[in-house]
Amino acid sequence: MSSSQVWSEDSGHDGNVHATRKYAPSPRRGEGWGEGLGWPCPPLHQGTFCSDFTQKHSSSARRPLTPTLSPKGRGSDIPAMNYNFAFLDEDTKRMLRRALLKAVAIPGYQVPFGSREMPLPYGWGTGGIQVTAALLGPDDVLKVIDQGADDTTNAVNIRRFFARVAGVATTEHTADATLIQTRHRIPETSLREDQILVFQVPEPEPLRTLEPREAETRTLHALADYGLMHVKLYEDIAQYGHIATSYDYPVLVDGRFLTSPSPIPKFDNPKMDHSPALMLFGAGREKRLYAIPPYTRVESLAFEDHPFEIQRWEHQCELCGSGESYLDEVVVDDRGTRMFVCSDTDFCGQRRAEAQA
Amino acid sequence: MMLAAFATTVFDSQRTFRELLQAMARPAAPRALPILPPSPASIAPAAMAVLLTLCDATTSVWLQQPQEDAVEHLRFHAGLRLAERPQDADFALITDPASMPSLTSFAHGDIRYPDRSASLIIQVAAFGSSPCVQGEVGRGSLALASTQDCTTPPQPSPVNKGGSSRAMHFAGPGIRETEILAIDRLPSDFWQQRAAMSVQLPLGVDLFFVAAQQVVALPRTTRLLES
Amino acid sequence: MYVAVKGGEQAIARSLELLAEARRGDTAVPELELAQIREQLRLGVARVMQEGSLYDEELAALAIRQAAGDMLEAIFLLRAYRTTLPRFGYTQPLNTTAMRVHRRVSGTFKDIPGGQVLGPTYDYTQRLLEFDTTAPAVVTPADAPLPLNMPRVLDLLDAEALIERIDAGNDPEPMDLTREPLMFPADRATRLQNLSRGDEGFLLSMAYSTQRGYAESHPFAGEIRMGEVDVVVCPEELGFAIEIGAITLTECQMINQFHGGNGMPPQFTRGYGLSMGEGERKAMSMALVDRALRCDELAEANVAPAQNQEFVLSHSDSVEASGFVQHLKLPHYVDFQAELSLLRTLAAQHAADTDEQLSSVVGGQRP
Repeated sequence: MSSSQVWSEDSGHDGNVHATRKYAPSPRRGEGWGEGLGWPCPPLHQGTFCSDFTQKHSSSARRPLTPTLSPKGRGSDIPAMNYNFAFLDEDTKRMLRRALLKAVAIPGYQVPFGSREMPLPYGWGTGGIQVTAALLGPDDVLKVIDQGADDTTNAVNIRRFFARVAGVATTEHTADATLIQTRHRIPETSLREDQILVFQVPEPEPLRTLEPREAETRTLHALADYGLMHVKLYEDIAQYGHIATSYDYPVLVDGRFLTSPSPIPKFDNPKMDHSPALMLFGAGREKRLYAIPPYTRVESLAFEDHPFEIQRWEHQCELCGSGESYLDEVVVDDRGTRMFVCSDTDFCGQRRAEAQA
Repeated sequence: MMLAAFATTVFDSQRTFRELLQAMARPAAPRALPILPPSPASIAPAAMAVLLTLCDATTSVWLQQPQEDAVEHLRFHAGLRLAERPQDADFALITDPASMPSLTSFAHGDIRYPDRSASLIIQVAAFGSSPCVQGEVGRGSLALASTQDCTTPPQPSPVNKGGSSRAMHFAGPGIRETEILAIDRLPSDFWQQRAAMSVQLPLGVDLFFVAAQQVVALPRTTRLLES
Repeated sequence: MYVAVKGGEQAIARSLELLAEARRGDTAVPELELAQIREQLRLGVARVMQEGSLYDEELAALAIRQAAGDMLEAIFLLRAYRTTLPRFGYTQPLNTTAMRVHRRVSGTFKDIPGGQVLGPTYDYTQRLLEFDTTAPAVVTPADAPLPLNMPRVLDLLDAEALIERIDAGNDPEPMDLTREPLMFPADRATRLQNLSRGDEGFLLSMAYSTQRGYAESHPFAGEIRMGEVDVVVCPEELGFAIEIGAITLTECQMINQFHGGNGMPPQFTRGYGLSMGEGERKAMSMALVDRALRCDELAEANVAPAQNQEFVLSHSDSVEASGFVQHLKLPHYVDFQAELSLLRTLAAQHAADTDEQLSSVVGGQRP
């Protein structure tokens, strides 16, 4: 067990560390406060406060807090700091799980859900985090990427969060992961049937920029009336000679629901069609989630005389030489010299390792 | 004496959910449930695993045969609300498929909110399906029942006592080409009912069948092919 | 040679250290104690509790200190903590008529039973910076205690049947916006819940817009009252109601002219605002926006931003808004690259088209 692992299988018959005290009965037996992941921090009135829950490993790391924290006229009724496995309480996980099952049953349809306020800001992956939290188990190996990279700060932060609140193993290797949470990319390495890809989605409604009213877009989806989008794309062609959408390029899922693939570059759209892996999408701020099941038809909108095309580069990755991956453009000096490198850092790293071997 | 539920609630329901999710994502392919909790006689342990994983005080459940010990057990462990009528239920437990109400008596959703529809848990005796899936158990072992994954041609299971089940071919989202499955002892017009409902897609009901340790999902989008 | 950017984890760790140092400031200056924040920054504490949807002065003070006084960050901290709290039960509706009033004013009648009670207010300060605050506050004791029961001003109008009736007890069970998603159209209870969690600045501006003509609105401050209200629960195992404490609330009831419509006679209508602690600006803004959002129910033209419930309710929440606006500082390399490559294609095509036109024009001039 790694040092970052904060729950332990042997610390309680139910696999959870118990809090120093149970605060109150929960509506469901065997769950709730004090269940799941508990940090054995003393109540506030004892003059200590576990303000950073990683500190629980070392009692000496508990920071004595100014005694004024102890409130007037109340003491023992303040609960100890205490979080469930994977942060969310079991009621919330069940709500998410029910919504996810409906999402899979109705491919591409946006299921409203009771999105919770997560300890990370809205717009920073709260939807993906909630979906991941509902899926995650102790046997999972989690990979988190942002812009294709494992080491971008927000990806690091989300990975750190789950390592902390669920003690799960994490990886940077696509092939080793059971769950991959992503923002803005689909890995270059083909996914397998036993992997699940979780997308962070800022705006789940593909029609939103064309029709801001939710009541209206719901009706358009009900009627499968996607004329607005076709007109928009057609106007692009009339004006620019091209469809001027390069990312978050709308797709039709199973021939029925117009769906946002999240702001992935359209380069990644073909990877969604008949993917072996299940794809789940969470939009926390907008309180919607949706799914694309494996082996499901995913078509990027196009016209007969203007077929869908993906981005191409004249360059190859200057690190691994790949000619078929999505490339980031990097400015390397103040004269504006550019170089092109793989956006998928794991893919690039693996290729370089293979080349060296 | 009151029976226990999941021994380790947090982790047992998580593992069960992952199988249910994969079952829904890969329709008509049986998957093994990792944990079978204790259950009163009238409810199959596999059905109990599904109920405990998905239901709580915020869901309403309709029991086809609401026997006292079953009701008490579910109220105690899941705190769930019982629905009086099938159309009010988020979940329905069908313990005697032969006499189940028609599929149209359950909520099939609102045209703007097709997710507001029932999920049915149907206890059946056994599944017959392609041979390569037989006996597969355990978490993470994918039930690869797709025809192209089998080295031998799929054969319908002959093990059907008293049922009129035959192997059926299914297609739709989540199924690579076709999936073959036989389900025991459903009402004779069950598949006609389901086919009739499919004209209302995306409205519909979603089905979980359980038998022994296995679960099979048939979401509304899965089509029964003419064989 | 260029290597892929690495070190995100380390960078975050260092940033957290710098943040802790910056938050603490000069260590020669004593650290703020929570009691100081609670007692001396009580209006800030009230706002954090209100928009954080958690009545806990202690935790709000902790959040304000941790956020270095950034109220929106403090609200976020409190909300994120609140999400994890289990629900033990629900209180009975609070009876604000029985409020132990510290302040109560009305703009509608010169005098009212129980009187106009200014209480502690900034209204009539002269906004001169007080450079010397060492002099202790001296409070002149009241000649007589305030009456225990302060009748509501709007009840006086109700007796004359000049104001719309709201039947207590006829409301359906309200939904819980922190557990269920907001759907449209939202009923009034849901709208009020959203507004009560909404950002004070946003509501203030929306309310202001209704006064400046963006929604027909002629409001009067029927009554604003602030004081303590008992919190009562009825635990199922006890079967009877018990008081579990008292909280400070500010309530505002606006009176708006209404010319009649939708089967209703001409009468005054109501707008309602409620805020935890002392939050008069918030409660008043909320009452104006609540009334504006009732336009469909009252068959008024729905033309102004403050009347558009999707617009107001979808954009009122500071935690949502702040997160999404600030997410733009996250990397968008991939999408930017996609746009860059598209723009290059379009620009190249534009240049080619222009060349073609030029050459055809030039060509046409040749003999």
